[in-house]
Amino acid sequence: MSRLGNRADWADDEEFDDPSALPAQQVITNKDGTKTVISYRFNDENKKVKVTRRIKTTVVRENVNPQVAERRSWAKFGLEKGHAAGPSFDTTSVGENIIFRPSINWKAQAKEAEKDGGEKGSMKDQLKDKKVKCRICSGEHFTARCPFKDTMAPVEEPTSGAGGDADEDKAGALGSGSSSYVPPHLRKGGAGGGEKMGGRFEKDDLATLRVTNVSELAEEQELRDLFERFGRVTRVFLARDRETQRAKGFAFISYADRGDAALACEKVDGFGYRHLILRVEFAKRST
Amino acid sequence: MRPILLSGHERSLNQIKFNRDGDLLFSVAKDKIVCAWWSANGERLGTYNGHQGAIWTVDVSPNTVILATGSADNTVRLWNIKTGECVKVWDFPTAVKRVAFSPDGSKLLAVTEKRMGFLGTIAVLDIAYGDNLNEQADEPSLRITCTESKATVAGWSFLAKYIIAGHEDGSVSQYDPKSGEQVENIQAHEFDHQINDLQFSPDRTHFITASKDKSAKLMSARNLAILKTYTSDTPLNTATITSKKDYVILGGGQAAMDVTTTSARQGKFEARFYHKVFEDEIGRVRGHFGPLNTIDIHPAGTAYASGGEDGYVRVHHFDKGYFDFMYEVEREQLRK
Repeated sequence: MSRLGNRADWADDEEFDDPSALPAQQVITNKDGTKTVISYRFNDENKKVKVTRRIKTTVVRENVNPQVAERRSWAKFGLEKGHAAGPSFDTTSVGENIIFRPSINWKAQAKEAEKDGGEKGSMKDQLKDKKVKCRICSGEHFTARCPFKDTMAPVEEPTSGAGGDADEDKAGALGSGSSSYVPPHLRKGGAGGGEKMGGRFEKDDLATLRVTNVSELAEEQELRDLFERFGRVTRVFLARDRETQRAKGFAFISYADRGDAALACEKVDGFGYRHLILRVEFAKRST
Repeated sequence: MRPILLSGHERSLNQIKFNRDGDLLFSVAKDKIVCAWWSANGERLGTYNGHQGAIWTVDVSPNTVILATGSADNTVRLWNIKTGECVKVWDFPTAVKRVAFSPDGSKLLAVTEKRMGFLGTIAVLDIAYGDNLNEQADEPSLRITCTESKATVAGWSFLAKYIIAGHEDGSVSQYDPKSGEQVENIQAHEFDHQINDLQFSPDRTHFITASKDKSAKLMSARNLAILKTYTSDTPLNTATITSKKDYVILGGGQAAMDVTTTSARQGKFEARFYHKVFEDEIGRVRGHFGPLNTIDIHPAGTAYASGGEDGYVRVHHFDKGYFDFMYEVEREQLRK
């Protein structure tokens, strides 16, 4: 079969051609009046790509002013002199699609769109229903602004006659009848200064651990999970940066029972957590 | 609609103008060249080179034969539109801020700046369309001197019956183009808020002014009556009256010197569409990242182009929604 031998398989036909040459463009006229144009080109990876386009030709007849028609034949001049016909890429481009629908209540619609799209708007929406609530007196102000800040512990503690406390405080400020000045922490019968800051946490100081060398990526819940195995944890406080919301590297864990705290202190100190080794010790009084 | 962006200029646009058939668009900017574009596809036909300073203004003769430009190099130049040649140069003592052809193209007015001891003037030049375009009168046929407040913009009313000028102090005045007498002067805008643009309706019976006082006014050319007021929230640089639909387009934005301190969102760099009769704002088209300095409408009302401080001209061909929009009363009127 010598004839078959020197003749390439039909499937390999193209391989034997010059690989850089492309098959000629084919134009097929379809029955419905459209044309199918099959052309070949090389893509960016130097692969041969077959492009099939179906083209429907519509003749749009436009009557223009003869002057306009005459102008169409004008040659380019100035900086464009000698340039080929058709828009050039360095001066003319097509912008992104703009949807322009005139409407009567345009302003209201635009506002709505802004609300939906704008991040600022959505944040505002989230906070719209939030009310500021004081942790001390449940009033509508920030805890730091509470008028009873100095006199009352946070809400959880039974509030005992706010009015009475305020009166007492007033008396203290004026010096309780005597002429001498009474410092705030000695007013109200000489209650400890720490009480104002800590309130009910005062007693927990005994069972509070200070954890340092905490990873920046730590989460309160993770710490809780970690420490809860030694006993009931009443409070987990993870210091965070105000701006970045990342952990600052230390935390306080309060236990209900001091025994549990001691056990946790012993076990977790030196524990590897998130690539850092935790250091745990009993919290010291901050005063 | 997909705008066509024309980036033939390196500096901020000052004025753009369609010819009367709407197939060509001319643009001038602070760089010293004039560009001619095909409005349909944004192809640049050519440039007219020769000015030595920023070009403030351009106008095209009604028969699209002669192009007039006014520049900061104190000249008005006439150009052969087809070939790009400069056919005539008029020298003035100060910069030329506005040129405008009369409706029949036989006259050209030029508004000159008040500077260096020279008062602002409006000069009227006769234009000849002979075989040789170089043959033009050397001297203006009329000079109107603005003694009170300099004119910033001017144009011709219907049948070239009046020259209407907008002034630096916010007033609009009407001059007789034969005698040069001031017929009327009306404080249309807030005092000392310059009128930045003045464009006529297609039949030139009324015109719109755009002012720094953040409003645009539709005024009658016959008696300077204020017909409509369109208020916006930003100083306006330009305003135009659309043909085919009863809209007006206003353009403006934060003044160029304040732009660096504002973001594109706050800058209000949008073309604002108002209904001409009802004075309602009906939409905005964004795209520019600088204030809009100039807007022109295709004479057939099918497209508009805007030029901005950012150096771009954007040509917008309106799509169906634009033409379909109608107020309920308009629709009812149509049904009857």
